[in-house]
Amino acid sequence: MIVRVLILWYGSGISRWTIIQKQTENNRLKAMIKHFFINIFRNIRHNKVFTIINLANLVIGFAVFILFSVLISHELNFDKFNTNYDNIYRVQTRQEDSYPTNFCTYSPAAFRFHLMADVPEVEKVLLMREVSGGAKGSGQFFTLPDGSQFYQLNGYWSENSIFDIFTINLKEGNKSTALTEPGTIALSETLSKKIFPEGNALGKQVIVGKRFPVTVSAVYTDFPQNSNLKPTYLVSMPTYPGLSGELAYGENWTNISFDNYVLLKKGADPKLVDAKIKNAFKDVKNFEKSSPYLHPLSKLHISPNSQPDVIIGLAILSLAAFLVLILACVNYVNLSLANSTQRATEIGIKKVIGSSKKLLATQFLAETILHTLFATVLALFVAQASFPLLNRILNKNIDFSLWNNAQLLIFISLVSLLVGILSGLYPSLVISSYNPVKVLKGKVFSNGGNSISIKKILVAAQFSISLFMLIVSFILYNHVNFILNKDLGFENKKILYTEINPRDKMPFETVKTRMLQHPEIADISFSSTIPFIGNIGGYVTWEGAAPDEKEMISRNYVNYDFIPTYNLKMAYGRNFSKEYPADNKACIINETALKVFGWSDPVGKLIYLEGRPFPVVGVVKDFHPYSVHNPIPTYIMFLNNNVISGSTLLTVRFTGDEQKARALVTRELDTIFPNDPFEFKDFSIAFYLDAAIEFWQSMKSMFIFFAVVTLLISTIGLFGLILFTVKRRTKEIGVRKVLGSSVGSVYWQLSTEVIGMLGFAILVGCPAAIYIYKTMPGAYKEPLTISEFLIAIALVAVIAFITISYHVLKVAVSNPVKALRYE
Amino acid sequence: MIHLNNIDKYYDSKFQRTFVLKAVNLEVKEGEFVSIMGPSGSGKSTLLNIIGLLDAPSAGEYSLYDKSVLDLKEKAKVDYHRNFMGFIFQAYHLIEEMTVYENIETPLIYKGVKSRDRQAMVADLLDRFNMVAKKDLFPQQLSGGQQQLVGIARAIIGKPKLLLADEPTGNLQSVQGEMIMETLQQLNNEGMTIIQVTHNEKFAEYGKRIIRLEDGIIRKDVASKIVFSI
Ligand SMILES: Nc1ncnc2c1ncn2[C@@H]1O[C@H](COP(=O)(O)OP(=O)(O)OP(=O)(O)O)[C@@H](O)[C@H]1O
Ligand SMILES: [Mg+2]
Repeated sequence: MIVRVLILWYGSGISRWTIIQKQTENNRLKAMIKHFFINIFRNIRHNKVFTIINLANLVIGFAVFILFSVLISHELNFDKFNTNYDNIYRVQTRQEDSYPTNFCTYSPAAFRFHLMADVPEVEKVLLMREVSGGAKGSGQFFTLPDGSQFYQLNGYWSENSIFDIFTINLKEGNKSTALTEPGTIALSETLSKKIFPEGNALGKQVIVGKRFPVTVSAVYTDFPQNSNLKPTYLVSMPTYPGLSGELAYGENWTNISFDNYVLLKKGADPKLVDAKIKNAFKDVKNFEKSSPYLHPLSKLHISPNSQPDVIIGLAILSLAAFLVLILACVNYVNLSLANSTQRATEIGIKKVIGSSKKLLATQFLAETILHTLFATVLALFVAQASFPLLNRILNKNIDFSLWNNAQLLIFISLVSLLVGILSGLYPSLVISSYNPVKVLKGKVFSNGGNSISIKKILVAAQFSISLFMLIVSFILYNHVNFILNKDLGFENKKILYTEINPRDKMPFETVKTRMLQHPEIADISFSSTIPFIGNIGGYVTWEGAAPDEKEMISRNYVNYDFIPTYNLKMAYGRNFSKEYPADNKACIINETALKVFGWSDPVGKLIYLEGRPFPVVGVVKDFHPYSVHNPIPTYIMFLNNNVISGSTLLTVRFTGDEQKARALVTRELDTIFPNDPFEFKDFSIAFYLDAAIEFWQSMKSMFIFFAVVTLLISTIGLFGLILFTVKRRTKEIGVRKVLGSSVGSVYWQLSTEVIGMLGFAILVGCPAAIYIYKTMPGAYKEPLTISEFLIAIALVAVIAFITISYHVLKVAVSNPVKALRYE
Repeated sequence: MIHLNNIDKYYDSKFQRTFVLKAVNLEVKEGEFVSIMGPSGSGKSTLLNIIGLLDAPSAGEYSLYDKSVLDLKEKAKVDYHRNFMGFIFQAYHLIEEMTVYENIETPLIYKGVKSRDRQAMVADLLDRFNMVAKKDLFPQQLSGGQQQLVGIARAIIGKPKLLLADEPTGNLQSVQGEMIMETLQQLNNEGMTIIQVTHNEKFAEYGKRIIRLEDGIIRKDVASKIVFSI
């Protein structure tokens, strides 16, 4: 049947058909083609409302499906542009004492020199490191020829093997030597244009980090959007020891902040290599807490930390997109059947005058397929146009053109064809087997009780899904507000922070004295981590613990001013104080730790870190060192030596205007550290960098998006069902009107039907939403409120009743005689 | 041509069996013009639909040209509809989305007639019914009588041997009704076998034979008195 339909479309097929069929069949076909199109066109003209609704329904369904197909294909095709795609691996670190996940994408530099290089299956090794790593989102300063400076993110130290392993296109320079010498830098095209607008960057000098001159050795084409690694510049690894002062970085097994990549030889078994590296690691260094493992390039984007988060997210998205498409198909079926009442005469009479069932079914099926194909084409345009919206919802920046992705277009056409067949098959079979006598009497539809209840169930299911989506959207909306606004237990509004890594040591008191001259600066402190940025793990035992009991903690090395700067409140004991010299061997714990250790009188009790005892001098009230999504960790602060050295975080609490305070502290710090780059940031930047917050925000927008779409589609579904009911009973309504009865009773009857479906939706949708709330990840949630449910139900109800009212009003104002003439 | 033997038609509801037709015997020869009359609900339409293969009897035998047509396959039935019989309805049942021309042409398409032949045949009929000027109009733009003329044209365009008409004049004023009846009579004169259902005594007399149905039973089967000639 399908083949025949296709031949109907493509005139070229007719000649082949002729050989098989008789002459009459040929004549029939030729005439059918013409009439088929005329018929479709006339039907569209005749049923404008139906056509528009049905088309909108299909276009929405397809557009959503296309958008998410694109998104998913984009996510799954990350890094595929690399010719060595299948053989590139990153050596990552599994850490037992890391928080919140045990898997770290970074690894120590020693891996490169002492583990991987000796494995025979390894073709190439590559050591990289983010320039000015540590705090997330940090970058590096560049000085322009005119002396002005700008801050550039995503720079890397890198070995020259990056050009052998990854597929990189050089604009200027030589791939084999670009990053082999110290003092060289390769720039991305964009950055090169920024620094040297006149071009010809090769051999020119740039100043990185305010004081380090390096020579441009290459310019490369920007890495594509769908690359996991997107360096804006690469400084040669041989530059690293000189600049960082870490001369023996290659021997360091504990500084887990490098990226180790390997290119395996073709045909090498990654499992074997993984085992070899693990074994080699055991031979050299046997840390119980961290070990290397191979992570393939194909997973770097969708599962960087070996966690299934992104994959689960993609699976949910695909499911939602498919669901929307299926809902649209269900609507199409319902609407087609509803519309067939309108076309009863056409169907009945065609049978009487000699159309076979097969021919009628073919006609309807072909019509459906044509509708879906047309809707698909429209949907492609809609999808392309709504890409920016998707980018905003998902907080992404995908630059995508549907038109030059042949694979995707073919996939979408196939899905479209399938959808056309699936949603056309049932109605065409039903319609073509209508009994002509009954149809012409206008009777078939009243005794189709069975199929009507199926329709009701389908629409009720649609309502359940949209109610569910709506409630979940409200829950997520409230949850995001909760995460954003929950009292974190420390001052986070009037806080500026910066990472600084000074070349020379600097007593903190010098900085403090200078800063506190200004009344705008309320307090200043420095520490190895600050809330939301950084984590140092570790295991402790404590006084009174069972022999094998240990607890994973989050530790922080702070100075005397950390607690007052963040306005942390003491629950027991006191802050570190210069009056107690022994405080440099003491610690302060949080209330969560107190609960874990089970002490009633904490001050003076001992905890043991790496075997050394630390007496507790105080307990801070619990605060949230990470977003509310995460549980408050067992948190322990130790006192540092009050001298700024190495990479550290400075925090300033200010009063008054932020701009002014920022200018002030920047100026002061500039005079203290004239050669060291830094940039003061508002605490909200750290806050919003939190992965959980980003995750929840995009979840929220996504669910709102899907809620709107499913609501739209189920409204169309309800519209179709009521259209069906009303059409079926137009005569009855007409009679009633002639007899002087009000349309109120019809309205009432439709309302009870819809109330029944709403009841069903509530019974299904609410528990499902509650289930989602219960299983939703996150340490802290606000309790559910009845309003989340009521508003969603009210919204669905209002839309349902508007739909009913529209139809009933239309019948009410129509001429009853016209309705009666149907007979 | 038509041979009905002991035809029953009944509907079973929960507690009882309702007979619409009971032991109907009917023989119609080629070239006859039969009018079926009877009170509402007596089973006239049902009988006509059974003859037209649109409905199946519950019991009995039915043969066309001595060939049983009771358990026909869908394909054979379609073939009868395409080539052997035409239908006319009280409510005209024209396809609203099609023009007069297309409505008349459609049966020929199903029949598989060549495009050129179709054009000639439709033009011929339009001419005969004086509807040439109306050929591009849609049914809603015609009067009832005109619509029924189109209905007749559609029914006879395929040159059926048998024309079945269920109250063809039921929705028409008497003048228009007479025009339709005259058309039918003329067709009959040309050799077409016609069976019509009517409530109108006068129109029934156009037939050569009148059958009266009551409660599903043929009460009378007589030759009509007046024979019009044109
Ligand atoms: N599907 C059905 N189920 C039950 N009874 C039916 C069904 N179809 C028709 N009938 C009954 O069969 C009887 C005969 O109907 P039919 O349409 O043949 O009558 P008729 O003689 O054509 O009447 P009218 O002159 O009003 O057109 C009626 O009483 C009708 O109610
Ligand atoms: Mg009748």
